[in-house]
Amino acid sequence: MWLAAIAGLAALLWTSAMAQGPPRIEPPAGALVGPTLGGSIDPVPPSVPSEAVAPDLVVDLSVPRVSITSAFQGESILLFGMFDPPGEIVVVVVGPPFRETVLRKQRVLGLWLNIGRQSFDDVPAYYAIAASQPLQRLLARSAGGEILSLEDRLSSVRAIGERPADELAQFRNGLVQVKRQEGLYPAAIGQVTIQAGRLFRVELPFPSTLPEGVYEIRTYLLRDGKIAAAVSRPLPVGKVGFSAELAGWASREGSLYGLGAIAMALVVGWIGGALVRRL
Amino acid sequence: MEIYLPIAEQSMNVFVLLGLGAAAGLLAGMFGVGGGFLATPLLIFVGIPPTVAVASQANQVIANSISSLQVQWRRGNVDLRMGLILLLGGMLGSTAGVSLFTYLKRIGQIDFVIAVLYVLMLSTIGLLMLFESLRTYLRRRRNPEGPRGKLHTHYLVHRLPLKLRFYKSKLYISALLPLGIGFGIGVLSAILGVGGGFVLVPAMIYILGMPTSVVIGTSNFQILFVAANVTFLQAATNGTVDVVLALLLILGGVVGAPVGSRLAARLSGVVLRGLMALLILAVATELLTDLLRTPGSLYSLAPRDMAP
Repeated sequence: MWLAAIAGLAALLWTSAMAQGPPRIEPPAGALVGPTLGGSIDPVPPSVPSEAVAPDLVVDLSVPRVSITSAFQGESILLFGMFDPPGEIVVVVVGPPFRETVLRKQRVLGLWLNIGRQSFDDVPAYYAIAASQPLQRLLARSAGGEILSLEDRLSSVRAIGERPADELAQFRNGLVQVKRQEGLYPAAIGQVTIQAGRLFRVELPFPSTLPEGVYEIRTYLLRDGKIAAAVSRPLPVGKVGFSAELAGWASREGSLYGLGAIAMALVVGWIGGALVRRL
Repeated sequence: MEIYLPIAEQSMNVFVLLGLGAAAGLLAGMFGVGGGFLATPLLIFVGIPPTVAVASQANQVIANSISSLQVQWRRGNVDLRMGLILLLGGMLGSTAGVSLFTYLKRIGQIDFVIAVLYVLMLSTIGLLMLFESLRTYLRRRRNPEGPRGKLHTHYLVHRLPLKLRFYKSKLYISALLPLGIGFGIGVLSAILGVGGGFVLVPAMIYILGMPTSVVIGTSNFQILFVAANVTFLQAATNGTVDVVLALLLILGGVVGAPVGSRLAARLSGVVLRGLMALLILAVATELLTDLLRTPGSLYSLAPRDMAP
């Protein structure tokens, strides 16, 4: 009975996902269900599958994408789903990879100046974790080689150029410090709440400083400290409407954009000045 | 009320930006400076990336200048010939300055250059102006009817060739002088994102010996074009002009600028110069403290576009 219910839910999620989003941002069928069943669902399944299809883990998001509009102040996204008990849920949100250059201040002749610099490749623009239990307890035993904690993830970023390992570690810590201040590597681990022993939900808050790109939201089902199932969902984050047009214009046609900015300043300054003086 | 700034890539309170713009506008109207030397550090302080703050501030300075210029032009306080020569120097200077800015940004020393240049310029100019205005003020109080002295003193610079008559400024000096001053201010203006008024105004008063009444209008005239050039070049080469940010600053400035002009008309030249000196020194002190104080965090990230 349960198996059928779960399969039904999976089918429902799949069809609704197909209906709402453009196909390019949707994951392949295999990505929606756990690895135990990879790729076994038909693109258009019947409402009640003939075979008992029982993914261990089903996940969906409250929105298909994060739209940065002029009113954007950050956004909270709801991730929800269902799993086959027993187990615990861990959710990892990873932003697109970028090359980042960390600058370090040093005291020179009494002045604090940026002297040291170190670049890293493949640095995630954003990294957040949510879990249904304190993470240390969940990861007491090896999680099967999958990367979970921020520390683990960052140990894999590639440093550019040669530098002693202890100095590299300092720069890496500096990178985390800065990202934390910007709210892009939240230190707090989000709380995944589990209801009725098999439904789970978690609010994923994103700050307004969110960089654009395709984010990946990975949900893991852990049993005895081992990954029993994993689901990955892409989450595109991008400017839309006025913000997108302006930013696109500025990067594509900088000169024209510059002329526009000058004209705007002249017109607003002139009219505004004349108006205010009349008051 | 928050608004998302598409180039700065973050949301910011609208009223904070309007207030900042109004403060910059007030200074533009009162002293003939763009106000960028105050607003740019404040923008960086509230979290706008320095490169975006510098470029968007230049955009605001355009609006402030045209707004003050409307008043000054009508009062006949613009020396057009002087303004045009300063401008020619400024155009050459700001073009050189933007190339320098791009280069410094690439080698990652832009923060250092901005901070040190600001502190050096501001403290030197502030101190000089303060002493001058205090001395004048005290002398006048002691001896209100006393001799005013020469209209302006003659230095070596007055022996330079290419002498020209500047009727509004009542001057007969070499064209190379305003040309050179204009060039220096253009370079500054591109790197610091300021119209350069806080250097130009003292330079016109003390080096060129222009009458204070003509200085504010002429300075605004020159700043208008230099700021437009900087805005264009920053947008074309670095893509760091945020028009949404600039528009909010401008709207604030439009209210501030005429208020400043009216205040300036009520105050005597020497009091005005003294006030400006104090303001400049306050900014310099704040920036210097920043350089000397042990920072809260040793680390920062270079702008993303710097990395290849």
